[in-house]
Amino acid sequence: MSRGGEGARIRAMIDGQRRLERGRLRLAAAGGAAVSVAAVCLLGLSGWFITGAALAGVAGLLAAQTFNYLMPSAIIRLLAIIRTGARYVERVAGHEAALRALSRLRPQLFSALAAAPPEKALGLSSGETSARLIQDVDAIQTLFVRLSTPWALGAGAMSAIILTSMATPTAGLLLALTLGVGAFGSVILARRLADPAGRELQVAVGALKDHIGALEAAAPEMKAYGLQDWAAGSIASVAARHDAIQTRLTLAAGWIALWQSGVTALAVVLVVPATVGASLPMTALAALAAVMGVEAASGLAGALHQNGAAAQAMTRLEDLTTEPSADLQAAAPAHGLRLAARNIDLEAGARLAFTGPSGAGKTSLIERLAGLRPARPGEWVVGEADAAHIRPEGRRALFAYAAQDVRLIDGTVRQNLLLAGPADDAALWRALEDAALADRIQTDPRGLDAPVGAGGECLSGGERRRLGLARAYLRDAPWLLLDEPTEGLDAATESRVLEALERRLARTGQGLLMVSHHRAPLGLCARQVGIGESRRRSPTAGQEARRPVETRRF
Amino acid sequence: MTMTAERDIAPAAWLKATARPWKRKVAATTLLTVADVAPAIGFAGGLAMTVARFSDGLSAAAPWLALAVVSLIARGLVSQAMLAMGATVARDVKADVRGRLLADLFQRGRRSADRLAAPVEGVAALDGYYARFLPLRIAAGVSPLIIIAAAAMASPVTAGLLVFTLFPFIVGMALAGSAAAAESRRQFSALERLSGLFIDRIRALPAVLAFGAEARVTQEIADASRELETRSARVMRVAFLSSAVLEFFSALSVALVAVYCGFNLLGLLPFPVPETLTLAQAFFVLALAPEVYHPLRRLAAAYHDRQAAEAAVPSLVVEAAVPERQVDLPMIAPAVRFNEVRIAYGSGAPVIDRFTVDVRPGQIVALTGASGVGKSSLLHLLLGLAPLSGGQVEVGGAPLGEAGHFAGQIAWAGQNPVIIPGTLADNIRVADQTASLEQVTEAARAAGLDLSLDRVLDERGGGLSGGERRRLGMARAMLKRAPLMLLDEPTANLDSASETAMLDVIRKAAKGRTTLIATHSTAVAAMADRVVRL
Repeated sequence: MSRGGEGARIRAMIDGQRRLERGRLRLAAAGGAAVSVAAVCLLGLSGWFITGAALAGVAGLLAAQTFNYLMPSAIIRLLAIIRTGARYVERVAGHEAALRALSRLRPQLFSALAAAPPEKALGLSSGETSARLIQDVDAIQTLFVRLSTPWALGAGAMSAIILTSMATPTAGLLLALTLGVGAFGSVILARRLADPAGRELQVAVGALKDHIGALEAAAPEMKAYGLQDWAAGSIASVAARHDAIQTRLTLAAGWIALWQSGVTALAVVLVVPATVGASLPMTALAALAAVMGVEAASGLAGALHQNGAAAQAMTRLEDLTTEPSADLQAAAPAHGLRLAARNIDLEAGARLAFTGPSGAGKTSLIERLAGLRPARPGEWVVGEADAAHIRPEGRRALFAYAAQDVRLIDGTVRQNLLLAGPADDAALWRALEDAALADRIQTDPRGLDAPVGAGGECLSGGERRRLGLARAYLRDAPWLLLDEPTEGLDAATESRVLEALERRLARTGQGLLMVSHHRAPLGLCARQVGIGESRRRSPTAGQEARRPVETRRF
Repeated sequence: MTMTAERDIAPAAWLKATARPWKRKVAATTLLTVADVAPAIGFAGGLAMTVARFSDGLSAAAPWLALAVVSLIARGLVSQAMLAMGATVARDVKADVRGRLLADLFQRGRRSADRLAAPVEGVAALDGYYARFLPLRIAAGVSPLIIIAAAAMASPVTAGLLVFTLFPFIVGMALAGSAAAAESRRQFSALERLSGLFIDRIRALPAVLAFGAEARVTQEIADASRELETRSARVMRVAFLSSAVLEFFSALSVALVAVYCGFNLLGLLPFPVPETLTLAQAFFVLALAPEVYHPLRRLAAAYHDRQAAEAAVPSLVVEAAVPERQVDLPMIAPAVRFNEVRIAYGSGAPVIDRFTVDVRPGQIVALTGASGVGKSSLLHLLLGLAPLSGGQVEVGGAPLGEAGHFAGQIAWAGQNPVIIPGTLADNIRVADQTASLEQVTEAARAAGLDLSLDRVLDERGGGLSGGERRRLGMARAMLKRAPLMLLDEPTANLDSASETAMLDVIRKAAKGRTTLIATHSTAVAAMADRVVRL
């Protein structure tokens, strides 16, 4: 379904960031080139200078005094300064560009994931997603930093070849040949050793975070069942695999470096004998320039070493994004609903309850309507349009949903309520009041700023449910969607909640779709629909409720 | 040193103590790092003699050229061996630290988003410290002196010059090392925050989407991401600046040596020196001069590794665990006695205060009361998930508290049974890893969970309905062979027919066990032998 080939969307994002950081990246490239040229010339010139001085010294005092030592030694100092300054500029500009680009890519990718169809957006585990947005985004840092590499390599190689050619043309030719062989060998080694390890590493860190995320969420359960050691051991074994791959990657870098040493040796062996006939200072110059020419290619080795990880990271990040489907309507045309499958019409402000045995698919039915599961053609009609033809976010705007499984963010009561949209404190308190939770929040001295803990663990089950209810009240939407709103509440609290809900509905004119097993809440609804009394045991029931597992692609 | 880790423990000391069991490997890595000087000297000598002898013809220079080449390759091999050894040390230490973190995480049994980054990002920050910094630190003290000694054999004056230039170098390194420590810590905190933020917000993504709060959450992430960028950029700039300064120093020192050698060779020195250099000697010391600073510059580059590791240490320190003793419960239904029990989380007001109840062996007790009154906390207390802040609890005569806990010996069905990624069978087996497939099947059937056991579930619930999750919890409790059973709202999310069926299941499961049930259901309360209203 991606049109422009593999990884087209992530590549477009990276290209966009590269354009934004064009200035810094060009500066880094210029710096890289300057470093290489300066390093090659510096060492070459030093060798020439020393050798020349020695010859002049041997030739006698007169020769020594006519030997021009001022120019070369001044140039040597200048080159040292240029090399240091240029390297600083290259590093800072390149890394700054990368950091800035990555810091913008992360929210961009998160936003792309959130905009994906529900089966994809909700199909990845939190640990896996965190690994992609942190470690995989880190892995593509090299795609920015390495942009200066070809310039550094090219400039270093060119200046080294020119300097050695000044000794003898053969020496220059042989150095060029050696550099070519060196680069070729590095590429082969990187492909063989570093690429596979790098690719596996990104997958392994995803698996590790996924595993930690899943088992950490189950930490209380693990302890209750005495499985602490099992859980810790299970994560440790996934981590050990990750560490082993990382070691392989480190060693791959070492093999590439060893190859570079070999190439340096080859350069010396070939270049030095080829300078027969040139003056001794020129031999010294050629030898040292050759050594530095090979060293200029070490940036290439570094970039190659990170290739595999970067490529795999690209694939994994591409997977977070989706081509927007243009053929869907952006927003719902009108607010009336129709459950086509059961021939039920609901005009604005209507109230309907779904009942039925547990596991019948009531929650799935309303989540398909509300854009939290893939819609089924022919099931729901919103306004005049089939729900499946309206974008999920267009449908979500119609509903204020208090889910059965209340999802809270690890923040304060206020932060959780404000997910519903901007509201002042008075409105927050009114919503809490209607959810019969205001008293409880008031007893905490921090009030609305009291933390709810990871997954809402500082609240009891009933309190979490009421906080979810209050949050739904704060959303200005034509329909309230309540899934088991009074589950886990005692009878007194339940009746308080329901009275407040009745008043609220009368005031706002909101429609109500509710799922409940309890008699009291059903009293609010004029109509009830039984769901799936017979379907439950059918073989498809299990399939229907099933959410996609994370490896599945759509 | 023991790990009696207060959070303000000195990171440097902690890092050193952590590597103690791998002292030999660290020493071997250090030795290999120092061994690098031998081929460095060989290369300089080979190259110098090659150039010096070159005028006598290629054959005169050839052995020296061979020495240079062999030295280069030996250098590559030594460095690869060092890399391999360093990687092993780092891997071992990381596995050890991570193991302790995980043990701590699961021992406490409480969630803590702030510790989620520690086993991945925190542990990763140790890599460079043990693989590079630690061996380099010692090598950087020894290697330059060896190289200077080698230089002294060719030119004592140059050796003196080199020793002299070491001092400003060392001062510069010390400054570079201390400059960015606080900033590194802030950078690591920003990374932790961002990593935790991603995990949390993705967990809550269904709510984020339902409320159309994508823009708001994206903004939060953008802020945290920019914070990390700013912090990283500052640390990076300091690191690059200090290495640039050192590089500059090193270039100046080399230039000084070059000028001395050049003038000595020319015989134009304005002051008398006790030596007259040959080309070979001069070339040798000039090629060696950068090598003197090489280990120091590598160490300076590795300062970043040290800072990253030290920044991560506060997140990696594991509080000394009070060695919890598992108290074995009898395998027959125990009496449970709560006496003046008080439960308070942190410094907040107590959830339960002065609670006293005696439960006889084999009784089914329903705990009822308004939402938020502490029913679940009482069950969590027995599971070791809630703190006993006052009073006593005894199960079968064994006291709960500092002295011991019963975790792992209780059949439990929580309010929100956690799903681990895996099959349904894996999820039921959480209660008893040793259970056979038959036992798992039987538990599922008894709990009314008529789904395929091979069904794959993901962490968000894998499409199980609320009722099915309850049944999963019950299946776990059924599978667990334990004389004490704790059920938290076992009939929530069930229709009345299913609830009636579930009551039968509970009654059967409770046979021969002492059972505590937290519930709002009148039907469950009616089935209990005794109702305790909180």
